[in-house]
Amino acid sequence: MKSSIRFEAVRKIYRWRGRRNRHETLKGALFHRRLRSRRRSAEEHIALDGIDLEVDPGEAVAVIGPNGSGKSTFLKLAGGILQPTEGTVEVDGRVTALIELGAGFHPEITGRENVLINGMLLGLERREIESKMPEILEFADIGAFIDEPVKIYSSGMYVRLGFAVAVAADPDVLLIDEVLAVGDEAFTRRCHDRLARMRQRGVTMVLVSHDLDMVTSFADRAFYLERGRVVAEGPTDAVVARYRSDVAGDEGGGESEASEVNAAEADRRWGNGDVEIVNVELVADTTPLRIVPNGSPCRLRIRYKVRRPVEDFVFGIAWHRADGAQVSGHNTDLAGLVPRRLAADGEISCVYDSLQLAPGDYLVDVAVHARDGLAYDYWREVLRVRVTSAEAWPGVWAPPHRWESSEPVWDD
Amino acid sequence: MTVLRLLWRHRSLVMVLVRRELDARYRASFLGFFWSLLNPLLLLAVYAVVFTYIFSPRFPGADPYPLFLFSGLLPWLFFSGAVLDGSLTLVDNGPLLAKVMCPPEIFPAVTVISHLINHLLALPILLAAMVVSAVAGLHPFPWTFWMVPLALIPWILTTGGAVLAISVVSVHYRDMRDLVGHLLNLLFFASPIIYSLDGLQVPAVLHRLLALNPLASLVAVYREVVFTGRVPSPMTWLMAFIVGIVSWWLGTRVFLRYRETVVEAV
Repeated sequence: MKSSIRFEAVRKIYRWRGRRNRHETLKGALFHRRLRSRRRSAEEHIALDGIDLEVDPGEAVAVIGPNGSGKSTFLKLAGGILQPTEGTVEVDGRVTALIELGAGFHPEITGRENVLINGMLLGLERREIESKMPEILEFADIGAFIDEPVKIYSSGMYVRLGFAVAVAADPDVLLIDEVLAVGDEAFTRRCHDRLARMRQRGVTMVLVSHDLDMVTSFADRAFYLERGRVVAEGPTDAVVARYRSDVAGDEGGGESEASEVNAAEADRRWGNGDVEIVNVELVADTTPLRIVPNGSPCRLRIRYKVRRPVEDFVFGIAWHRADGAQVSGHNTDLAGLVPRRLAADGEISCVYDSLQLAPGDYLVDVAVHARDGLAYDYWREVLRVRVTSAEAWPGVWAPPHRWESSEPVWDD
Repeated sequence: MTVLRLLWRHRSLVMVLVRRELDARYRASFLGFFWSLLNPLLLLAVYAVVFTYIFSPRFPGADPYPLFLFSGLLPWLFFSGAVLDGSLTLVDNGPLLAKVMCPPEIFPAVTVISHLINHLLALPILLAAMVVSAVAGLHPFPWTFWMVPLALIPWILTTGGAVLAISVVSVHYRDMRDLVGHLLNLLFFASPIIYSLDGLQVPAVLHRLLALNPLASLVAVYREVVFTGRVPSPMTWLMAFIVGIVSWWLGTRVFLRYRETVVEAV
């Protein structure tokens, strides 16, 4: 499979051409060539130093690291905004960078005209933008302001319109830089929902964020950058844990936290190990997800390993909210499945035609046990899933529904 | 050539941005787009009054002087306006360059094209002035006026080259912006716009120096076509086109040399 983003031995070096010493500029270039080249090392900043990585199509990865570690440079290289000093950057398909929403808007002209221009900058044809206009307007939700000059917009309207255009460009690869930190709560929720839906469609995503909870709920894999190098790479939880302990370590006392994590892990899992749960994923089509739009079809896939064949077994799943409230529990026994024999490794999926959960964070427990309750492997909170929706529904159940009334009391 | 190919690929974007440029300029003004016509008209009116009644310079073949001046000034305004804007265009569009992917060459192109359009909108005023003065018997009508598109080609090439080079250089060296204004001022007086080289009473050395000014041939071609009513000599044409092509070539070379680092510098 061709990778979606490929960095090969990429280095990026910024050379300061008088940005620090503004008055030295032209004079420096004309008269001080030799002097400058001797001092070159002092005027260089190595932002990325030998990055090799690949991102598969449809994958969501996060790039984390302290400020100045090269995250934004990485994103700009992937977006083609910057060129690498050494090495190659290949990106397959149309790329959209959500770096600063509405950055390209011209204050004097109307929102509609700005949408047209921004869309074309993102690589859309004029006609494509016009056909997507209703969708953009609906998402941006700025009403009649669309035909007013952008300079009178509130900052919220600005950002909403910027986001709406950027995602309407239908990218194959989406690069996201902290943008979701702006805007009000309702907007953030709708953005998350939109991103989750795009993710489900197989859009490759790269997220740069300091919001580690967001990173964990969003990305399958993470890269941890420090001083321009990848210091850790792997499943998001592991990389985020490493980063957290590094940050804590900097502040002193990282060691104890790491052991607490292990203790917590042991606390959440027990059983005799005759059957072992290898991993649990929430899958839509074939992409594993950690963030799911409400109402989408998906399956919870459990991979298991059999250490000792068993004839009495039940697979079970429990959903609950982060506050501990039970949401749902189901198992193969309740579903009327009669066990025959479990002797070889395999996988079992619980299929949901439509995940009718209200937006929020959910924790999933998975277990395989005997009918009398003897646990082979019982794994609490094995998975954390974030469900998104454009609307903020209270509660836990968000079924598709409609209203009917006997009288025409509604204004269209 | 690379620059032209890149521009052709983004032509629809360039045209939309040109519209934005023109729209934004006249947005919220009562007369709107009419300003494009009104500006040159008012300019001509002021010159006509000043240089007829207050002070009337005499140069051979430069009569009536206001029209002579106007026909030299119009292409110069296109050139100098574009170059002045060109020194700011990449800096002004910095957010687009750094936050959205977009090829930097479109911005100098937009600058040149929008100034060219403004120039084209002033042409009817120039033509009308020629007709009026011909009817009034002040000056024979220049039947070569139709050659104006041909005379504009070296102007467009020269302006394009200059704007491409200045746009990237002034991103890297911010002092360019102040310099450009002064250079333009110098170039203006060094070019035969307010005077004609023929009747100039200056030392021979200075005269030869002024004749070496690359813009002299461009001014000559344009003015002979729209004012004098004479087909420029093949030598004048050749000079003008050489200036245009060399400027374009140099401009694209400078531009491509600095293109990659524009985003880092804005």
